[in-house]
Amino acid sequence: MQIKDYVLRRLMILPILVIGTSIIVFTLTRVGGSPIGIYLSHEMSPAEVVEIEERFHLDEPLPVQYVYWARGVLAGDLGWSGVAAAPVTQVFPQKLAASMELAIASAIVAVTLGIGLGTFAGARRNRLPDHVTRVVSISGASMPLFWFAILLLIVFWVYLGWFPIGRSDPDIFGRIQHPTGLYTVDAIIAGDFGALRDAVWHLVLPAISIGYGATAIIARMMRSSLIEELQEDYVDAARAKGLPERLVLRRHARRNALIPTVTVIGLSFGFLLQGTVVAEIIFRWPGLGRWMADAVLRGDQATIMAYVMFTSILFLFVNLIVDVVYAYLDRRVVLGA
Amino acid sequence: MPTRNRGSRKARGWFALLIVFALVVAACSSSDDSSDTTTPGATDTTAAGGGDPSDVQNPGVFVHAADDEPTTLDPAQVEPGEGGETMILQVYERLLEIAPVGPDLVPSISTEVPTLDNGLISADGLTFTFPIRQDVVFHDGSPLTAQDVKYSWDRVMTMDLPESAADLLNDTVVETRVVDEFTFEVVLQERSASFLRAVVTSMVASVVSEDAVEANGGIVAGEPNEFMSTNMVGTGPYKFVVWNRNENLQFEIFEDYWGTPANLDLRVEIGSDPDVRVLGLRAGNFDMIETDPSFIGDLEGADGVVIYSGGLLLEPIHIGFNLNMPEDELPDEDTISGDFFNDPRIRQAFNYAYDYNAFLEGALGGFGDFNPHYIPIGVFGYDPTAPLYDKQDLAKAEELFRAAGVWDEGFTVSVITEEANLFETAALVLKDSIEGLNPNFTIRVLAVAEAQFDDAHASDPVPYAMWVKNADPFADPDAYLQAYAHPDGEWGVVHGFRNGYQDPDRIAELIDEGAQELDADRRAEIYAELQRLLYEDPMWLITAQEGIANAHRDWVEGFVLNPLWPRPNVKFALFDK
Repeated sequence: MQIKDYVLRRLMILPILVIGTSIIVFTLTRVGGSPIGIYLSHEMSPAEVVEIEERFHLDEPLPVQYVYWARGVLAGDLGWSGVAAAPVTQVFPQKLAASMELAIASAIVAVTLGIGLGTFAGARRNRLPDHVTRVVSISGASMPLFWFAILLLIVFWVYLGWFPIGRSDPDIFGRIQHPTGLYTVDAIIAGDFGALRDAVWHLVLPAISIGYGATAIIARMMRSSLIEELQEDYVDAARAKGLPERLVLRRHARRNALIPTVTVIGLSFGFLLQGTVVAEIIFRWPGLGRWMADAVLRGDQATIMAYVMFTSILFLFVNLIVDVVYAYLDRRVVLGA
Repeated sequence: MPTRNRGSRKARGWFALLIVFALVVAACSSSDDSSDTTTPGATDTTAAGGGDPSDVQNPGVFVHAADDEPTTLDPAQVEPGEGGETMILQVYERLLEIAPVGPDLVPSISTEVPTLDNGLISADGLTFTFPIRQDVVFHDGSPLTAQDVKYSWDRVMTMDLPESAADLLNDTVVETRVVDEFTFEVVLQERSASFLRAVVTSMVASVVSEDAVEANGGIVAGEPNEFMSTNMVGTGPYKFVVWNRNENLQFEIFEDYWGTPANLDLRVEIGSDPDVRVLGLRAGNFDMIETDPSFIGDLEGADGVVIYSGGLLLEPIHIGFNLNMPEDELPDEDTISGDFFNDPRIRQAFNYAYDYNAFLEGALGGFGDFNPHYIPIGVFGYDPTAPLYDKQDLAKAEELFRAAGVWDEGFTVSVITEEANLFETAALVLKDSIEGLNPNFTIRVLAVAEAQFDDAHASDPVPYAMWVKNADPFADPDAYLQAYAHPDGEWGVVHGFRNGYQDPDRIAELIDEGAQELDADRRAEIYAELQRLLYEDPMWLITAQEGIANAHRDWVEGFVLNPLWPRPNVKFALFDK
């Protein structure tokens, strides 16, 4: 099957999967309890509760509530977030942009370091660089994110004062427009290098704390994959032809070693996006993860629904992209087979 | 071995690169002297403060790290005790305010505090007149007149949002009038001794700009106004700038403020993890943080940190008894009868059995005090000579349980509360106290998510026999007694107080009399009598009144805190550094 046909077929199935997911998730969240609590306070009287129920249609049967929700979604209304005290549609893009920017920064850290370290170690198997890289990898994979993040926070924010927390300097944040919500991109668009520096500076600690764990996984995958490739016949053939070791590594072995690594990277990005919860809380990063943690703790079902739907669609697309990239890198793979 | 040599050179290169990176980072963090004023470690050599001036960070702006995000910035929508009240206090003003020190009322938008003596309260006590200050302008530049006051109050009463404190006005006010451009009058349904303190100074009575509201959606009955929920146009010393959700709220000094202007701009950082707030205060990035007694251990002895521990929160933590129980709907494990708590001996026995000291010294770390009844210490009418339950008396509890006929048979009762906070701890202390008294007694602590608790507690009838929570803060005793003691009050009806009071009519009569009594001495006598009656006939078990623990940097000048203001009980405009 051609890649185009395969992609089209997958895209056509997408709405069915999304609707199915929404029904399941909506039912599960409502079965778990009414969302009315998020709109109430300790002192609200039963009569006041009735008024709130009417405002949000929570006095209707479950299927009717779903219809209200689905109708709202189709009209661009994802409901009211009790946690954010604002419409979900208003807050979601801001949170998503914040988390995306952090996830991308973390991915840059993870991919560059992971592939670099993996290649470095794989090409020097069982030598000192390999052992050092293994220690780095194991520590990254096994160290709890919250502990590493707090360590970075204490050393680099509290004691050294090198890096700030939060997303930006409020004074700098206020002086530029935010057409994309990605502060680094917005700063470039505005041509404000002070703002760019500020945005990057705020990214450093959370991106390292999140990216370190993924770095370790990618490096281990790259290393083992590279070692396998370096033992293949085509590598020996390349060496026999007199190709320098550097070119054997870069042009032949590394390209093939990247195939399984790409799968890990693709899946890691989804987890990076989701796994920002701890870092967002610790570094006061106003992203999806922190918002969602609050929403789950407080039973903010409108927000939970939006987030679950988003991540469902995200994973469907990520898997699709991974499949396509996989097929591109490995010509033996037949899409749709 | 050329390969090995090349590898060594590369390794040295990596090492050199790391060193260069570290040096660049260090250089960048220390070289910026002008543009990046909030980079941690930045200093302001020109700032003056209580500590070493060279240490003062974030010059020109007061940075407060708050616990949670406001749900609204609209006085017509905010709930008492909610985070939005803090912001409203800084930006909006009311006719009268509570003075920084003590409980006294002081003029604000009204130039005088109405009294019978100055003639601004009519002889029948029903009409209050407020002379309006003439040099007040809103943050949008429009002048404030009596019409704005009338509009603000009428708006709250018309919107009548269930989540708000609109009842304070709707249950009290018959009519609002504009007498002339700078005279506002309000007519009450009945004489009210608490009107000025409980209503006029409350956040719901804040004066908003009519122009701003009408230009942004106007007034719709029963519907929140989205613009006002997320924006503020007031007359106070701070002007609202921006609300970056989950990040911060920013305010700037209002240059045309009629009174004493604020000293610093204000930034309220929101939603920090408690540990991050503590670290941020220690590092000097925050000037003040939202605290409670559990923070104190982390901050004691920290350089440059001042811990203030004066005063008590006006939100007594209490355990409720349900006298209106739907027996069939109680948890299956509960073995009590539907009228279990109707017997005052049972309620007294629970009060005697509770280990107050364990809760105060343990959970509250000693920050707090025992409080007998629903008039908190610090509020007018609190009688320090009234008897109180403050010591565990197991012998007395046993005697009462035996007299009530439940000692031998025992009971199992569930108590619902929020999880992972002081309320859960209070419930666990109850469990420990009661179960330690008699092995036939079982207390099941159901600690649930806040939303789930609120849903259960707002049911009618409440499907649990007991619960733990705190009270909303009020500045006048009548609000507490109407809500928490009156047999025909909001909670009295839901929780069936008439099923339990030995003389409900006497309790009702006294509360109603206290509500209307304008003579302060007589009013105090009424509340003293009520506190004695409620000791004999307790409708609640009040575990403690939580103490205030505030932490701020030593460079903060002019620090003052009043428990009668919404949490964190401060007005930032009074501070400097």
